[in-house]
Amino acid sequence: MKMKKVLAVALAAGMVMSMAPVASADEIEYGEGTITIWVADEVTSFTQAKAEEFLASNENYSGYTVNVESVGEGDAASNMITDVEAGADIYGFAQDQMARLVSAGALMELTGDYATFVAENNDSGAASAAMSGESTYAFPLTSDNGYFLYYDSSVITDVSTLEQILADCEAAGKGFYMEINSGWYQPAFFFATGCTATYESDETGAFIGSDITYATDEGIAAFKKIIELASSSAFYNGSSVGDATNAAAIVSGTWDSSAAQELFGENYACAKLPTFTVDDTEYQMSGFGGFKLMGVKPQTEVGKAVVCMELAEYLTSAEVQLERYNEVGWGPSNLEAQADEAVQADEALSALAEQLAFTIPQGQYPDDFWTLSTSFGDDIIAGTYNNSSDEDLLAALTTFQETLQSYAG
Amino acid sequence: MDEKKGLSSSISRGFTRFGRNIAEIGTTFRDGDWTAKLSFVIMGFGQLVHRQILRGVLFLALEILFIYYMVSFGAGYLVKLPTLGTVESYVDKSGIVPITVYGDNSFLILLYGILTIFVIIAFVYVWRMNVAQQMRIRKTLEEGKALPTGRQDLKSLLDERFHITLLALPNVGVFVFVILPIIFMICIAFTNYDADHQSPTNLFWWVGLENFKNLFSVGSSGFGSTFLTVLAWTLVWAFFATFLNFFLGLGVAMMINRKGIRLKKLWRTILVMTIAVPQFVSLLYMYKMFANDGLVNTYLLQWGIIKTYIPFWSNAMYSRILIILINVWIGVPYMMLMTTGILMNIPEDLYESARIDGANGWQMFRKITLPYMFFVLGPYLLTSFTGNLNNFNVIYLLTQGNPTSMNLSGGAGYTDLLITWLYKLTVNDTNYRMAAVIGIMVFAVTAIISLVVYRILPSVRDEEGFQ
Amino acid sequence: MNEKKLRSQSGHNRTVNIVIYVILILMSIIWLFPFVGLVLQSFRSYATEYGGMVAYFIPKEFSLDNYTWLFGSESSFPKWYLNTLIIAIFVAILNTIMIVGVAYALSRSRFKGREAMMQLWLILGMFPGFLTMICLYFLLKQFGLTQSGAIPGLILVTVASSGMGYYVCKGYFDTIPKALDEAARIDGASSARIMMTIIMPLTKPIIIYTALTAFMAPWCDYVFASYVAFGYSDSYNVAVALTRWVWTNDYQGYYTRFCAGGVLVAIPVTILFMCLQKYYVEGVTGGAVKG
Repeated sequence: MKMKKVLAVALAAGMVMSMAPVASADEIEYGEGTITIWVADEVTSFTQAKAEEFLASNENYSGYTVNVESVGEGDAASNMITDVEAGADIYGFAQDQMARLVSAGALMELTGDYATFVAENNDSGAASAAMSGESTYAFPLTSDNGYFLYYDSSVITDVSTLEQILADCEAAGKGFYMEINSGWYQPAFFFATGCTATYESDETGAFIGSDITYATDEGIAAFKKIIELASSSAFYNGSSVGDATNAAAIVSGTWDSSAAQELFGENYACAKLPTFTVDDTEYQMSGFGGFKLMGVKPQTEVGKAVVCMELAEYLTSAEVQLERYNEVGWGPSNLEAQADEAVQADEALSALAEQLAFTIPQGQYPDDFWTLSTSFGDDIIAGTYNNSSDEDLLAALTTFQETLQSYAG
Repeated sequence: MDEKKGLSSSISRGFTRFGRNIAEIGTTFRDGDWTAKLSFVIMGFGQLVHRQILRGVLFLALEILFIYYMVSFGAGYLVKLPTLGTVESYVDKSGIVPITVYGDNSFLILLYGILTIFVIIAFVYVWRMNVAQQMRIRKTLEEGKALPTGRQDLKSLLDERFHITLLALPNVGVFVFVILPIIFMICIAFTNYDADHQSPTNLFWWVGLENFKNLFSVGSSGFGSTFLTVLAWTLVWAFFATFLNFFLGLGVAMMINRKGIRLKKLWRTILVMTIAVPQFVSLLYMYKMFANDGLVNTYLLQWGIIKTYIPFWSNAMYSRILIILINVWIGVPYMMLMTTGILMNIPEDLYESARIDGANGWQMFRKITLPYMFFVLGPYLLTSFTGNLNNFNVIYLLTQGNPTSMNLSGGAGYTDLLITWLYKLTVNDTNYRMAAVIGIMVFAVTAIISLVVYRILPSVRDEEGFQ
Repeated sequence: MNEKKLRSQSGHNRTVNIVIYVILILMSIIWLFPFVGLVLQSFRSYATEYGGMVAYFIPKEFSLDNYTWLFGSESSFPKWYLNTLIIAIFVAILNTIMIVGVAYALSRSRFKGREAMMQLWLILGMFPGFLTMICLYFLLKQFGLTQSGAIPGLILVTVASSGMGYYVCKGYFDTIPKALDEAARIDGASSARIMMTIIMPLTKPIIIYTALTAFMAPWCDYVFASYVAFGYSDSYNVAVALTRWVWTNDYQGYYTRFCAGGVLVAIPVTILFMCLQKYYVEGVTGGAVKG
């Protein structure tokens, strides 16, 4: 471990030198000040240490100090939008917030070498997640923002089909947890049957087009399955392992892996999402493969802008991503870090990787997409559509689809 | 509170007063000596000449301060107020990294523009005061009396003008932190300030009544039907939260107060503990307690009372009922405390004579206790009703307004009160324009209800009555 | 005098009393249940049972894990607690001064604009507070009183508008006979003197009531506090900090810690409240009679 750290520092220093904008480094007035960084609670001290190392590595940056605050990815975006000026200089966020942040003027565009760095060093999904239109707006931080199944191997006998999982749970009086009133988990069903829901955004973060096909036969099939799931006595709506008191299986992501290990103890296991059957057709559950990004707030001074860019690039570089993986288990987006042995061997990450084969890389979605999906899900859970005819379901899906489409353009 | 009469008569009164003011200013100028005339331009001059140093200096200082404020700050914002700014922000991409150059900040223009208008109004008022004093100086001197000195002025602030001393700071505070923001937000209702038009990156501008049209349009994109649903639940909620709590609290107080019940203090203390424990602790605990996999469901399942869990929070009807019940848990102790005190104040001989007349317990309750309670607690019940219309904590800490539904727009849920919906629009959606409109509606609802109830209440008008 | 009648009714009375006792005991259980649950959860062992939600009432193993963690190096709980305490103390003192001043002026002086001011304030009170939140935020920001300056900022905003909450206090003052003032005035005392030496000593309950309610409010202040302090954890109060542990997915297994923090917040407020309960009741009933 110690060896590794020393190596990392050396690497980091080397990297910084090689990447500083050589041509113009001397001309820049670096100035001084405080750089505020918002990251999730888990990695605050890690980020603080890394950022300090980075600033110490180059004497041009000696005027800057760094202040890392624990502001979760969810809160970061809405806080930034409330008051860009008072927001962090560098912050981590989930990619679905990006268009919103761009249009609120809370992200500095990555140009030149920085854009190239993002495009060349990250997996293609991550690189495109950092773009709106043709412009790159953020550095990919992780590629693990997807979901799969954690389960209790003493309760669930067969994780390959949803029906069997539910039957096992019902028999044991335990629960199957999935947050179906979330726009992020719902598509696991809709995409599985072949529906699509994507938006197109331009370089200003505005949504200019959409491709949503929920009001179809495929949509009805998925819809029926969600309704069936919601009416099972084993179903619980939720995705937070820490809040689940009766879970035998839970659909969640890598951030819950330690909590899940704690919960299931020696019966801890994880797998890709199961298949489900509607009218004799079997579908593999799909979903989003998402990414976490790190963005820099638009700056008014060149010196600070450059330092922030360099720092954000460093914090998302291969070594730091790998170190972060070793510290807290976040799955890297950097290709080099992904190839690391430890990452390859990770149980939760490999379940995710297996699941990712069936998912679509998550693009940009308007905020209203998530809000409306929650309403849609709440209606399903409340039993609004129980015993509805196919026509009624189609009508509901049509309304859903049309409202979703109205958010673009 | 005769509103109609009050309003029209106060308007006509206002006009006469305005006319009188103008006339008075004219005569002051005509009849005044040169110091008084000069004081129209240089405030405090007349006072200074007549050795009223304290007053003179104050007026002069205010004038200088006003001019400085306008020149250095206010005027610039005031000029931009009609457009809310025209200079757009842009990103300069010519360098190594893109640099943002911010243009006009509509938000600050609106805020400081309004502030400047108020500063001007205040200055006119001070100027008018200054002019009035010139007249008073002249009259006092003509009568051969001495003008009050600075020392006397200061002393009067502790005596006949003591209320000014006491009320000055609170009024300034209320103005800056209540009135100014309220007027600002009312103005927002007439702009397009939302997520797409956010300072400092983007400008926003005046859009007239567009937002109000949106609220009252009943369509899929309009807020109309959602507004009505939320409003109806808000009223139902406030009704139950106030009156259910009142009757239950009264009942509990009467039980504890009953002769022969022991440990009175213990019972009260147990109930009152709920007041002392912060709501964010107790309510969040309650929320988890009633979750699908929470304590209540788990034990009910274990004891075999239910087969599947009760979806307390995901079913609109259940969660509404549960919220009202949990609010009983919160509110009854307050009501118990309050009614206990009042029960003890009811003269015992009222009951005595009723008993002699052969009245039973229920009759005494209806004829004596209840009317007395309503008389005394009337105003309090009204305040608590309007308070409950805006009871943010209970709803937000329990359900955050959920469950939502496709039938409701703007992210509203079935347990949302207008106030929590407003909060969600502001904080989660940064849809300030609609939040401002709904805020105005909340005000209208509260004000109308208060006015109506105020007229019915017997105990409101006789302010001097109890002395 | 009514002894005979009472005795004849005593059999009926006893059954009624028994019913009342049963109801009171049941109510006590319901009212105490959440607290007992909260306290029990806070003592649940973090090491053996983790900190997430569980569906049982009594922990399998008791320990002080959560409390030691709160005061350990990993958490800023003491800082948040201190923040809240500072706000609460300042607000309690300053609010009381403002409210008592306003209530006294409105109860004792009759001046031009008095009615108008009272009506205006009544109307202002009907505007929902959150509406102005964003505006207040930017106002405070101009003075540098957000984020790192959020504590004084919160105190300022709370105190500045506190005068509007004069109703109960004025109601109490109204019940003090004006003859007292007049007698003193004949003796040549000024208004300020009358207030300080004659009226104030009679108003202990309402002053304690005012201070106590002002002191308790900041412990619950979530909405505005989170808005003003956003992204700057050193300025959080306990409500902002602890609710994050329940609402944000980043904090898995923090539930028992939340309970422990909640217990620690509840203790001083409860003790204070219990000690001053007598005055609270006197104040609230005395004031509400006229309020």
